[in-house]
Amino acid sequence: MSMDIGKFLKSPEYEIKITTYRDIFQAEAMERDRFGEEYKMFSAAISISKIDMQKMGLKTKDRVRISNSHGSIIVEAKEAKKDEPGGLAFMVNSPWSNSLVSGDTQGKGIPEFKNINAKISLSKEEITTLETLIDTFTRKSITV
Amino acid sequence: MVTCTGCALLCDDIEAIVENNRIKETRNACRRGAARMKGCVNRLVPSIDQQPTDIESSIRKTVDIIKNARSIMLFGWNNSTCEAQAKGIRLAKKLNAVIDDTSSFCQGLLIERILQKKLRTCSLDDIRNKADVLVYWGSDAQDSQPRHLSRFSYFPRGESRQRGYEEDRKAIAIDVRESNTAKICKGHFYRIPLKGDREFILALIEALSGKVPVYDTKKMLELAGILKKAEFGAIFVGIGLTYSIKEDFDILIALAEKLPNFNIMPMVGHYNMRGFNEALFKETGFVNRVKFEKEAIHDDKYSIMESLIEKNIDAIMIVGSDPLASLPRPILKDLASIPVVCIDPCISMTSKIATVTIPCAVTGVESGGTAIRMDGKLIRLSKIITSGYMPDEEIMDRLLEAIS
Repeated sequence: MSMDIGKFLKSPEYEIKITTYRDIFQAEAMERDRFGEEYKMFSAAISISKIDMQKMGLKTKDRVRISNSHGSIIVEAKEAKKDEPGGLAFMVNSPWSNSLVSGDTQGKGIPEFKNINAKISLSKEEITTLETLIDTFTRKSITV
Repeated sequence: MVTCTGCALLCDDIEAIVENNRIKETRNACRRGAARMKGCVNRLVPSIDQQPTDIESSIRKTVDIIKNARSIMLFGWNNSTCEAQAKGIRLAKKLNAVIDDTSSFCQGLLIERILQKKLRTCSLDDIRNKADVLVYWGSDAQDSQPRHLSRFSYFPRGESRQRGYEEDRKAIAIDVRESNTAKICKGHFYRIPLKGDREFILALIEALSGKVPVYDTKKMLELAGILKKAEFGAIFVGIGLTYSIKEDFDILIALAEKLPNFNIMPMVGHYNMRGFNEALFKETGFVNRVKFEKEAIHDDKYSIMESLIEKNIDAIMIVGSDPLASLPRPILKDLASIPVVCIDPCISMTSKIATVTIPCAVTGVESGGTAIRMDGKLIRLSKIITSGYMPDEEIMDRLLEAIS
């Protein structure tokens, strides 16, 4: 009986720099239903240049874990449509991208929403849901 | 014709087709605007401790929270009318509260300098009628303010620009990515590295001063040449540029001084961010991050971020904003650890963790009022359909009445 050694091996991890942008289709989906599938589809995704996808052995629709000391999420990878030179990946601004943003603003009050450093690796886990992102903060009651 | 509140363009040329007291269809609106006007699928219901209740009980509980808090923050405001904002500021004064809005981590730095007259600006109508050189910098208007290019900047025939984009106008994009706006600016897209705006500005200032810039010399001299020839130019400052130069924001003033024929336009997302900034500025001299005591004190420590990090607020009332969705995850635990009042038309991430929720009317659809467009023009908002939901302004009236 052959053994699938691959499943015991940890997927290689790569350093990745991410910036965020706005997308009209995601904004439309948010206006309609922030908790809907469409909003999740546009938000829980990372767009990576063809050259970087090849370097990391990723293909469109692969699920990837993106982590840093601020948070960790599972999103879908997709190859950037435009001819991006590489070195920078893109996520639509959302609670998913904000999970990776530092809370430290050097006392100035403006976080580095568009300047994220993280690690990325192939994952077989399910895409992080909005409910998962909220669960930690759900509470029953606070006495005033 | 009615007004759309999808973004700070406040397009007032929208046709809304109403059927059975619901907006069935819109004409002229962009995707976002149309979706907003048709409404969200999940309306908020009044609740206390996540248990449904009636609106009167929610308001009573809110009064308890705002009266008993030692240091409360009143936050949000960018999706409210000018009338509701004015009453919110009055409420903050009466409560000796901290007041802040989303511009605190968005375009506040820029709007502050525009209101202080440190940056030259103009109206969107001036741009439509006169502008020949348009610079979209860290701004993807096509996705964030989708009718900007078609109503005001690149495509229209203006009074002095009868040949529109084909001959009379030049659009330039400066960005870290080839955005949908950059695609339109064919041949004039300048790609810069992440956080590279400062270096780019310094090189551009050198080129405009007749020096040879060391940074991408050929392209920089070409850009400086186009800008110098402009008769009426506009720089549309997006959040990409604001974030990138936030540590040295006045460098933008230095650039503007080298471009006497240019005006700066803040590319604002939320439909009435500028309204709140102007109202607070008029009242206190500051656009955000204010604590009312005997007088208004402005400090970065009164920003929502620092207030939560430093734990110097013990309750928060959030009006028309979803900070649980828009703030960095590491500080959300601090937000969730204090009593939260959430006033919103729709269920949001914040409403799901709120101590009290108060549903309100959708402004511009179920209630009217006024708002300030990104260029400072006052625009009237329409009430298109009737609903039983209370407008933000009326909720503020109720709170003011209860605490006096």
